[in-house]
Amino acid sequence: MNDVMLQLDGLVRYFDNVHAVDEISFSVDRGKVLGFIGPNGAGKTTTMRILATLETPQRGDARIGGYSVVDEPAKVRQITGFMPDSAGVYAHTTVTEYLDFFARAYNLRGTARHQAVDNIIEFMGIGELRDRNVESLSKGLKQRVALGRALVHDPQVLILDEPAANLDPRARIEFRALIRELAADGKTILLSSHILTELAEMCDAIAVIEKGRILATGAVTEILAGMRPRRTLSARFAGATDGLERFLLEQPGVVNVHEAGGRMRFELEGDDDAQAALVGRLIAAGYRVLEFSAHGAGLEDLFIEITQGRVQ
Amino acid sequence: MTWHHRLFAGLERASDWLSPIVVKEVRQLTSGREFHYSFSISLLLGLCVAFLGAASALDASGTSGSWTFGALIGCLAFFGLVVVPMGAFNALRTERLEQTLELIILTTLSPRRVVIGKLLAQGVKLATLFAGLSPFIAMSFLLGGIDFVTILVSMLLLFSWSLWACAASLFLSSLIKTRAISGLIFGGLGVLLFLGVVAFGVPRVLFFMMMRSGGAFSSSGFHFTFFGGSAPWWLLVMLTTFCLISMMNLVLLTENRLSVATGNRVTALRIGFAVQFLVLVGWMLSFAGEPPPIRTSAAWTLGVLGGLHLAAVAMFTVTEDLVLPRRVLIRMREWSALRQMVAILSPGGGRGALYVLAQMAILLAAVGILRPTTPGFSWFVAICGYVCFFTGVPVAAFRLFRPAHEAAFHLRVVTLVALPVAMLLPDILYYMLWRPDEFTVSFAARHLISPRALAQWSVVQSRYGIAFPVALGLIGVAAYSIVVGAGMRMIEEAEIEAGEAAAPAREPGSADVY
Repeated sequence: MNDVMLQLDGLVRYFDNVHAVDEISFSVDRGKVLGFIGPNGAGKTTTMRILATLETPQRGDARIGGYSVVDEPAKVRQITGFMPDSAGVYAHTTVTEYLDFFARAYNLRGTARHQAVDNIIEFMGIGELRDRNVESLSKGLKQRVALGRALVHDPQVLILDEPAANLDPRARIEFRALIRELAADGKTILLSSHILTELAEMCDAIAVIEKGRILATGAVTEILAGMRPRRTLSARFAGATDGLERFLLEQPGVVNVHEAGGRMRFELEGDDDAQAALVGRLIAAGYRVLEFSAHGAGLEDLFIEITQGRVQ
Repeated sequence: MTWHHRLFAGLERASDWLSPIVVKEVRQLTSGREFHYSFSISLLLGLCVAFLGAASALDASGTSGSWTFGALIGCLAFFGLVVVPMGAFNALRTERLEQTLELIILTTLSPRRVVIGKLLAQGVKLATLFAGLSPFIAMSFLLGGIDFVTILVSMLLLFSWSLWACAASLFLSSLIKTRAISGLIFGGLGVLLFLGVVAFGVPRVLFFMMMRSGGAFSSSGFHFTFFGGSAPWWLLVMLTTFCLISMMNLVLLTENRLSVATGNRVTALRIGFAVQFLVLVGWMLSFAGEPPPIRTSAAWTLGVLGGLHLAAVAMFTVTEDLVLPRRVLIRMREWSALRQMVAILSPGGGRGALYVLAQMAILLAAVGILRPTTPGFSWFVAICGYVCFFTGVPVAAFRLFRPAHEAAFHLRVVTLVALPVAMLLPDILYYMLWRPDEFTVSFAARHLISPRALAQWSVVQSRYGIAFPVALGLIGVAAYSIVVGAGMRMIEEAEIEAGEAAAPAREPGSADVY
């Protein structure tokens, strides 16, 4: 069943004559994580602010859980958790008080409020920080508390603007695990980041935006397959490799063979079966294969390739 | 479970029914140092004053309670009119600088509830300070020389004006977004409030005490004559009404500043200022059955206060942008026929112009009922005409060429600057072009373009006639009609555009790799 939770239809938002968001359309299914990638000023934050109901589009609409961000902002806010790029914390406020305040602000009362705060503290693993002042926490912990704040009313959709910015490697790994856990729990997540390799590991799909326009959407592998029909492979062999280069060039679909750093690098036009067949033929021919690996273009390569001057 | 655990659990349950903002602010208050310091200092000051009062009571004059109370109310005025409003300013300033305000607005709390919550939190602070000093104030009553009603009314007055100062501070805080400028304003506000308390606050409370104790009451200078024998109570009622209504409008203004630009930020404000205007008219109409001198005084007061009100309201409503956010247009389309009838309360510069014209009509009708002897009816018409001219002409000139442009802020600056320019430019041009030997700023024909003409109306009437002011007024009304027309056209265009936008765009998720 196609259960679309987040749907953008031709969103347009301009400030004076600058089109910050220009005819953006894409959708995200329930329980999926979509990474929003684009250079600074591409329109990511404006799009996210429209989805969070903090801005209205001049044209087009977006629906979250079936509710229009233009017509039904109050309903959208009830099912959406928004985390801007700054954590937004208070002085003289403990972690519990901070979460309790937002639970109250979302109209949670009595036992329901206590339960919500306890659940978030447990889920985010910040039990030992309960009575610490939010202001005194490290950036990573503040981000964690801020994510907890966005989750306190149990939203179905999470919109996270640069959530992993300024986090140390350990905090990033923990954050990644949290995002996957939330997606597994059925939350639909839209997140932007400049740490592109992280997005590749966290997201089911990506949307690349530049100058307010979507350049590509879909799973990273799908986009790669659409852009690059060939896969780049490399192999390391034990013993003599005489005639290996000619052998490889004679194989169907193999091109651009060359040696670099003691490895043979080449491109193969074909799918996984073609790759497995090639490995089989190499072994049958008596070559002693030590390593065989595929070098998919990273998200960063993809990003650079997609965004370089495509939109004018 | 001990009794205090049960008590706290009960309070915790009860707090569910309080504003979340109040709960948060009070928690921050009790955890921070600032309030502890101010509360301790207020207690220390109260103790010192009470000790001195008790010492002076030993001479058995029986009147030391009077100055003891004055000194205590002075201390309270300092905390209520300086310290707590500064805290209010800082509370909202921090909320904006730390970018937590948008997070709150995304919850079920509306900007209005946020502002009211902040104001109530200041009310809790004030109540705590007042309660802390109340034993010493009770002692001043026991020392003699002051009656219970004076104490009660003075404290209520001080409390309400302190809350008003907090509302004003919140509004001021909502105006500035940058850290540096808001820091400067914070410092400036501190000085201003301190001087305000020293120069006006304490004397005002003491003034009331003096009136209560049968002291001198001058009728000169402020047209107190129409209050008759119950003047202090009338004054008190009027001041309190003004305090409450203007506090409500300060809350609405702050709400307007804090709301995201996607919603209707105008209607509540227009209702608030219309209420303020109607109350003013109501006050003055209550003198309609009095003898002519009193009716004339009332009409004059209405002309001055109503004119200032209209000028301020016109500067902000007529200059509003004509293009409305989509969310507002959709809401307005859903309005019932009854709400459509009061469309002048909805956003948009065109409707703003109609809103001002409607208030002008009410002002003139009220003056017609009061039938003042001098200045004549023409003075009130001229007030409206000058307001129309100075606020309408710059806006109409701009909107003729750029109706869809977002320029509300710039137009407000232009209308604000137009006033001093009109007051100074005639003299500057006169001295530059004619180079007279003698420097004089006495009223002359060149000043007819300036609102100064309203202050010299009898001279204008007798020496120059009212043709020029009438012409200015007519130009102003014509300018208003241009703004109204442009506003209507923009709404129609937006409706058509919204209809086109409602047609389905392309299939979602259809974006491809380019």
